[in-house]
Amino acid sequence: MAQTSSRGISRRGFLKLAGAAGAAAAVGGGVTGPRPAQAAGGIKPGFTSKYSVCDMCFNKCSLIARVQDGVIQKLDPNPKFLKSRGMLCAKGNAGVEQVYGADRLKYPLLRVGERGEGKFKRISWDQALDLMAANFKKIGEQYTRCGFMFMAGSDMQSTFVHRFAEAYGSYNTLSHESMCLIAGTRAFLDTFGEVPIPDMLYTKYVVMAGANRFESLVTPDSMDLMTAMKNGAKLVVLDPRYTKTAAKADEWFAIKPRTDMAFMLAIAHVLITENLYDKKFVAAKTYGIEQLTKHVKPYTPQWAAEQCDIPAEEIQRIARELAAAAPAAMVYPGRRSSNYTDSTQIRRSYAIVNALLGNWDRPGGLTAARVVGLGGGIPFEAPFYEDNPEDRIDAGKATLMFPEEGSFKLARDAVLEGKPYPVKGFFLYHTNPMQTAANRSKTVAMLNSMEFVVTMDIHMSDTAYMADLVLPSQTYLERQDPCSAQQGSSACACVVMRDPVVAPLYESKPVFWVMQQVAGRLGMGEYFDFTIEQFRDKQLAGLTGGMDALKRDGVYYNPSKLYGVYEGKIYKTKSHKIELFNSRYAEMGLEPMPVYTPPKPGGFARMRMVVGRNAVITQSSSQNNALLAKFQPTNHLWIHPERAQELDIKDGDWVWVKSKAGKQRIKAKVTYETRPDTVYMATGFGVLSPGLANIYGKGACIAQVLTDEFDSITGNMAMHETWVRVGKEAA
Amino acid sequence: MAKQLGMVVDAGLCIDCKGCMAACKVANEVPGDNWRNWIKSGDADWQAKKRGRMVFQPGNCMQCDKPSCVSACPTGATYKSKADGVVVIDRGLCIGCGQCIKACPYGARFRNEKLKVADKCDFCSSRRAVGLEPACVSTCPTKARAFGDLNDPASPAGKLMAQNKDKATQVVNAHSNTDPNIYYLGDAGLKSWPVKAQMPGAFEFWKNLADPAVKVVVGLTGLGVLAMLGKQLMLKNDAPPPEEHGEEGHHE
Repeated sequence: MAQTSSRGISRRGFLKLAGAAGAAAAVGGGVTGPRPAQAAGGIKPGFTSKYSVCDMCFNKCSLIARVQDGVIQKLDPNPKFLKSRGMLCAKGNAGVEQVYGADRLKYPLLRVGERGEGKFKRISWDQALDLMAANFKKIGEQYTRCGFMFMAGSDMQSTFVHRFAEAYGSYNTLSHESMCLIAGTRAFLDTFGEVPIPDMLYTKYVVMAGANRFESLVTPDSMDLMTAMKNGAKLVVLDPRYTKTAAKADEWFAIKPRTDMAFMLAIAHVLITENLYDKKFVAAKTYGIEQLTKHVKPYTPQWAAEQCDIPAEEIQRIARELAAAAPAAMVYPGRRSSNYTDSTQIRRSYAIVNALLGNWDRPGGLTAARVVGLGGGIPFEAPFYEDNPEDRIDAGKATLMFPEEGSFKLARDAVLEGKPYPVKGFFLYHTNPMQTAANRSKTVAMLNSMEFVVTMDIHMSDTAYMADLVLPSQTYLERQDPCSAQQGSSACACVVMRDPVVAPLYESKPVFWVMQQVAGRLGMGEYFDFTIEQFRDKQLAGLTGGMDALKRDGVYYNPSKLYGVYEGKIYKTKSHKIELFNSRYAEMGLEPMPVYTPPKPGGFARMRMVVGRNAVITQSSSQNNALLAKFQPTNHLWIHPERAQELDIKDGDWVWVKSKAGKQRIKAKVTYETRPDTVYMATGFGVLSPGLANIYGKGACIAQVLTDEFDSITGNMAMHETWVRVGKEAA
Repeated sequence: MAKQLGMVVDAGLCIDCKGCMAACKVANEVPGDNWRNWIKSGDADWQAKKRGRMVFQPGNCMQCDKPSCVSACPTGATYKSKADGVVVIDRGLCIGCGQCIKACPYGARFRNEKLKVADKCDFCSSRRAVGLEPACVSTCPTKARAFGDLNDPASPAGKLMAQNKDKATQVVNAHSNTDPNIYYLGDAGLKSWPVKAQMPGAFEFWKNLADPAVKVVVGLTGLGVLAMLGKQLMLKNDAPPPEEHGEEGHHE
C-alpha cells in the first residue's frame, strides 16, 4: 500500500509521493494535488490564514493554518482562543504531517488475504459503498440490526456515525470513553449532579492524583495551572511515576498505586475531626455529613500512611493546607480514570473532599458547566424495529453504565461469547481499539469472530489492518465539520467549527458523506437529507452573531454566568443536594460512601503496570506521525533500579514483560522515575500494521500486556489492575 | 539604544512539552535530525530529601553581542545584523566548512542535512518578514518565552528586561563569554552545559585584527577555497537559490 521510500518531515517529501499517488488518484477523479512548496526557508508573503480546529487529541484547540499555493506551511495557535490560552502544542504543530504523511490511506481497500495478513486490493468508492449496504442488509436480517456494532472516536463528525446507528436500528454504539474517563464522570455526576470544570486559574492549592496535567495536556487546565503556580498556588502531586507534572510540583509523593482512596478518606478524616471543613456550605448544600463523619472515623492519617507510603503527618498537613486555602483549593478531578475495579468509588472520594472544601461553584474551585447555547443540529426520530433485542449487548453487566458510551470491555466479552445475541458486523471510525483497549488478543479474537468489519481512518491503523474494508478518511484540515461546544471554566464557554483549509487529498472522504451514501442505499436517506452548512445553521440558531464570530475570530464566546450558577437551584441528585452519602447507591446495593479495600500485595515477581501519556503522544491517535516520532521514536519499559538490579537488568537491555493477557519484548529504561513495584510503558507502539512505517517494528504494545479488568459500576476498563513479571531476554 | 532582538525566558514556566521544537521544525523546514532550538534539563537529585521544582530550560541561538561564530567564519557568511542584532547566515556565501559550528559554545549551529550549509535560529526571519512572531514564541503553551527588542521597554522581552534589570541572567561558559541576548528569569536551571568555543587556529589572530573586508579575502584563499570546492561537490543539484537580502545587507 503506502509508499515507504519518502520518509521525512517536509512537504517536499510528500510532494515526491504526490506525483505517484496523483497518477493513481486520477482514476478516481476529483483529486487535487498541491503545487510544489518553495525550495526552503519557511513562509513567504502571499500566504493565506485560515481558521480550523486541531484534532491531534480531544481538546479541539482553535488554530490558524498558514496556506501557500494550496499547501499548509504551518499551523499556528489562534491567539483569540482563550481555552487553549492561545497555544498549539507539539502535537498540534505536527498536524501538518497528518495531511502530508507518506502513509495516508488513499482509496478504499478491500481485504483479499486472511485477516491480519495485510493483503488488500484497491476498489472504487461505489464498490465500497455497495458492499457496505449489502452487509448492513444481510447482517441486519440475519442477526437483527443490533448485530451491527458501531464505534466512533472523539471527532466532530462522530455524531453522524451515532445518527446512522440509530436510524439503522442498532443500540450497540461504543466510544473510546469506556477506556478513558467514564468512572470519573460517574463519580462526580453522582456527587454534584454534574461533571465539574476545575477553575485552575484562580486556585491556590491543588492536590493532583491520577492525573498528569503537564504532560497529558488539557486546556485550559494545564496552562492555567502553571499561571496559578506563578501567582503562588501550590501543587501537590501523587503519582507512582515521576512525571513532568511531578517534576514541576511543589511536592511529589510516589504514592503506592491503587491507594488514592485511602489518602482521600484520610484527608476527609482530618477535615472533619479537626473541624476544618466548610460547615456553612456543607450544612446548606450537601447531604450525608453525619454518615460521612462516622464513615471516615477509622480512616486516620496513620492508617492511610501504611496504605499509601505517604507519612501520616504529611497527609495531615496537606489536609490542613487544603482547608486553609479553601474554597480556592481542590482535589483535581482528573480525566482518565480507567485504572481500577473500583475507580468510580475512588473518584467519589476525590469528589467528597471537594465538597467538604466547599469549593463548588466558586472561584478557584470546581465550577459548573456554563451556558454555551449551541443547539443539537437537525433533529430526527429513530425508527423502531420490532425484531430488535431488548437492550445493548453489554447491558446489565455494570451497575450504572452510560448507555450512550457503553463498555468496550463488556461489549467485547459479549461478542466473544455470542450472548445475549450475536454481533457480526462492526463499523469503526477514527478510533483504534487494537492499540487502546487492554488485552489485544481479545480484540483480535473479537474482530476475527465478525463477518464484516469496516474501518475508516487516515492511515492503516492496527484496527484497519484487521478490517475487511478500509476507507480513507479526510484529515481534520481537509474537512467541513459541525460546530462543537467547549467548556473552560473562567477561560470561556465557547463554540468552534471547522472548514477545510486545503482541498482533500487522494480519494479521502468525510464520514458524513459515507453515512449519507450508505443510508441512501438502504432507503434511510431521509436521516441524512441535509448539508453540514444546514446542520451548523440549526446548531447556531440560538446564538446571535455566532457564525460571524466564528468566521471573524475562529471562535464564538458566550459570556455566560460562571460562579454562583447553583444559587437558589437544586442539584441534579436524588436528595437534590451534593451527595456525600449517595442515597441511590444505597438503594442499589452499592456502597453509598467509598469503602477502601487494600490492593493485593505485589512482589518480586509481581509488579503493577500503569498507563500514561506524555506531551508528544496521544495514545495511538497521534502514532506514526513522522515529526512526533522524532521526539519519541519508540517506547521503553520503565523499571526502578532496585528491581532492575534484582533481575540483573541494565539500562537498555532487552527484557520480556508478561501478564496473564500477553507478553512483549521491549528495551528497559532503568530509572528512579517509577516505584520499585510499578512499571510503565508508553502506548501506541509495537504495531502489527506495516502501513505505519514510521513506527513499525519499534517498541512494544502495551495493549498486548494490559489485562482487561473493569470498574464494576461503569464498565470502564481497569487497566492498572495489570500484574506483570519482567525478565531479561536471553542474549 | 540600537535595536537588539532577544528573548527573556522564564524557564520556571517550561513544562518540556516540545511545542517550541515542533513549531520551529515546521516553520523553518528544519530537516531530519536537525533542530534549531532545544529544551535542556538536568537529572533529578534522587538522594535529596526534599525535591524542588525541576527547571526545564528552553533555548536557541543566543544572538550574542560577541559572537564567536562570526569570528570563526572564513567567508563573512555569518554576521551580526546592524538593523536588529540577529546573527544571520548568508546561505549563498556559506561554504559549509563547519568552523562556526565548533565555535559556538551552545551547540546552536548545525550543518543543514539538506542544504549542506550552516544553519541555526534566526528568530524566524521569514515569519517576522510577514508580520508573524517567531514560531516557538507564539506556540508555547505556558508562554515561557518573551520575544522582542531588549532595548525597547514596549516590547514583551524589553518590558521584562526593564523590570528585571539586575535579576535576568545569561547562560554562558566562563571561558567563552559571548554576551548572549537570551536572558533567563529566576532559576534558569542547568547552567553547566555551554562549552568553550573552539576557534579555528588559522584564523584565531585574524579575529581581532582583520576588518571585515579582509575577512572576505581570507575566505577566498587557502582553506576557504578548498572548503568551497568541497561544498560544491556535496551539493550536487539540490542547492537552494541564494537567499535574497533585505536592506540590512550582509557586509558589516
